[in-house]
Amino acid sequence: MHWLIVASLLAANPDPSGARQSEAGGREEKGQPASQETSSEKQAADEKRKLEEEIAREIGGQPASPAAPGATAAQGGSAAAQTPPDRGGQGQTGGNPFGRLMLLPDVSAIGSGALAWNRLDVATLSPRSEPFAPASEVRPVFQELELALQAVVDPYARADVFLAFGDEGAELEEAYLTTLRLPAGLQVRGGKLYAPFGRLNQQHPHTFEFVDRPLALARLLGPDGFGGPGVDVAWLAPTPWFAELHVAYQALTPGFQEASRNGGVARLVQFFDVGEASTLGVGFSGGLLDEPGAGARDLLGGDVYLKVRPPRARSYVALQGEVVARRLRGVVAPEGEEAPADAAGTEWGGYAQAVYRHGPYFAYGARYERAPAVAGGPEHRVSALASWLPSEFQRIRLQISYDRLPGGQDGLEALLNLQFGIGAHGAHPF
Amino acid sequence: MKTLLTAASLALCTLAPAPATALTVVTTTEGLASIAREVGGDRVQATSLSRGTQDPHFVDANPNLAVKLRRADLLVDVGLDLEVGWLPPLVNQSRNPDIQPNGSRRLTAASAVAVMDVPRGPVDRSMGDLHPAGNPHFMSDPRRVERVAAAIAAKLARLDPAGAAGYQARLDDFRGRLAHSASGWRAALAPVRERKVIAHHNSLTYFLDWAGLQAVGYLEPKPGITPPPAHLADLVGVVKEQGVKAIFLENFHDPRSAEVVAKHSGARVVLIPGDVGGFRDDGDALDPKDWFAYMDALVKLVAGAER
Repeated sequence: MHWLIVASLLAANPDPSGARQSEAGGREEKGQPASQETSSEKQAADEKRKLEEEIAREIGGQPASPAAPGATAAQGGSAAAQTPPDRGGQGQTGGNPFGRLMLLPDVSAIGSGALAWNRLDVATLSPRSEPFAPASEVRPVFQELELALQAVVDPYARADVFLAFGDEGAELEEAYLTTLRLPAGLQVRGGKLYAPFGRLNQQHPHTFEFVDRPLALARLLGPDGFGGPGVDVAWLAPTPWFAELHVAYQALTPGFQEASRNGGVARLVQFFDVGEASTLGVGFSGGLLDEPGAGARDLLGGDVYLKVRPPRARSYVALQGEVVARRLRGVVAPEGEEAPADAAGTEWGGYAQAVYRHGPYFAYGARYERAPAVAGGPEHRVSALASWLPSEFQRIRLQISYDRLPGGQDGLEALLNLQFGIGAHGAHPF
Repeated sequence: MKTLLTAASLALCTLAPAPATALTVVTTTEGLASIAREVGGDRVQATSLSRGTQDPHFVDANPNLAVKLRRADLLVDVGLDLEVGWLPPLVNQSRNPDIQPNGSRRLTAASAVAVMDVPRGPVDRSMGDLHPAGNPHFMSDPRRVERVAAAIAAKLARLDPAGAAGYQARLDDFRGRLAHSASGWRAALAPVRERKVIAHHNSLTYFLDWAGLQAVGYLEPKPGITPPPAHLADLVGVVKEQGVKAIFLENFHDPRSAEVVAKHSGARVVLIPGDVGGFRDDGDALDPKDWFAYMDALVKLVAGAER
């Protein structure tokens, strides 16, 4: 009778994984009568534990996977572990394989929080992006939950919507339409979007290698990114290498200001392959914003990115740097504006960082930053980073920094960050 | 005068490219590019976005690859979310409207084959980083590759009707050579039929199914999840119990876990090429140089290791 059921299963479903599953079941049944002597069973268990410990020593450096308890189920032939466990008719949270069939967009949520500590009162002495804590206090900070909805709109365009939920409430991070069928190498994005200025500014914080945004970008561009509603036209030049020119017109909110200004931003970004293993990216950006009282704000930036990754490896080295300069011309501080006025004249800052990704599970980095301090003069900060990625969908990072202000004031900072992602999230930019 | 005319006509002959390349085909993997060359011949120029030495799950979305896609007359991808981490942004950047999913110049090879390992019931990532639409590693199975070749030939004929007869002739020729080679491979594998093996990832499922071998374990406890020591210790037991002789893994994987299991169980670690060009890939010098050579190498390694 039993074999009849197996045979009919096989006949109904030529998929051999089904056959494998039933075979694995058969093995388990056969295995049972053999394990009756409890003493020999105990001995075998001891031997197995010893073997486990020895193996753990030998592969030292690999993380003890959180999946360990589940793996014991693989005893009766681990082919069974490969096929998803049969959950019967029981429903479960999350995971809808029929999402695409039902015309649902890709939905994903990425959460990020940190334990922050800093010796200085950075909120007033060194304004920056989250996360940070009151002076000399260990504080848990929920940075952001990013909810993304992404899908094609029709044969002509796709749409990407990113909502950011934080302690201050929900905010529309980005929401834009991207054309897919324009001729002559053109692509237009319209909606609310980060300005095409520099490298990190267009990326979402959860893709940063370091836990926080560089100080210079927070102060000269914007603590939560530099963007706003507008249109970005990108032209891909007909060159054998990647060369793209962006011209955008947006209502932009720079630095720690609260009111937006109309402005134009342009960016030329190019990527060159240097041999099989390396890629070099070079970008130049410029911006011109109206300021209240017939003034103007000029922005100029340059960025470099070099990634060295042998094709066979998961490990890589990525070097990255950006410089941003800002000049205010003819600005009259408006009466009654709450946000602190940006200093007149020219300010500049930037960062340079190196990240070594060691296989799939670890990454280490170092970063140097220079930024215009609130009290005037240059502020310097150096940071070290260690990341552990148990899977592609979560990472735990420790970042230690040393910050030095122009007056000689200095202090250490520490951030322990946890990040997780669920759902189908679009691939990250290079 | 006459010599001048002859010289001129000769010059014209050399200037005019005899069999004009009709189509630029871009594929995601070297294996697909090789099959496109088999059926396309001189009429197509096929290049792969990934190298055979690369893990096709983890290719960088290098913008320079988008430039290749811009000029593509046809994009052939594997599908089943194999390239989900890098192909979609490249396609979006490419400014090539017809290579979008379901576009007239896009062929997803998985649509031509019967897919294995399709999860039944709901899936989530507690099962690891699995492919919810099924196992995408079918390019080492001659039966499925024949279907892929036929699909590529049909697509090429639709895009380049002038070459349709040629594509059909080349497909017929390919089928003949495939049948001949496959009988040789089967003969080489005959002595090791029904043998049990361990693989790193479920990338050999189709090959083993075709070859009549059986995977009794995987180094990864779940797709994309690092093997914890307890799992490797279990595998040592599986190897001993089931008489497994070899552990197969693509040469781009970290071999440490495999070596540890091998050391404690007596099985052998066999590094296999991930694709065409998987052994060495300096510019245009592919090794194995085409899909037939890749299958030759794979069959030889499996048959040799199991003997």
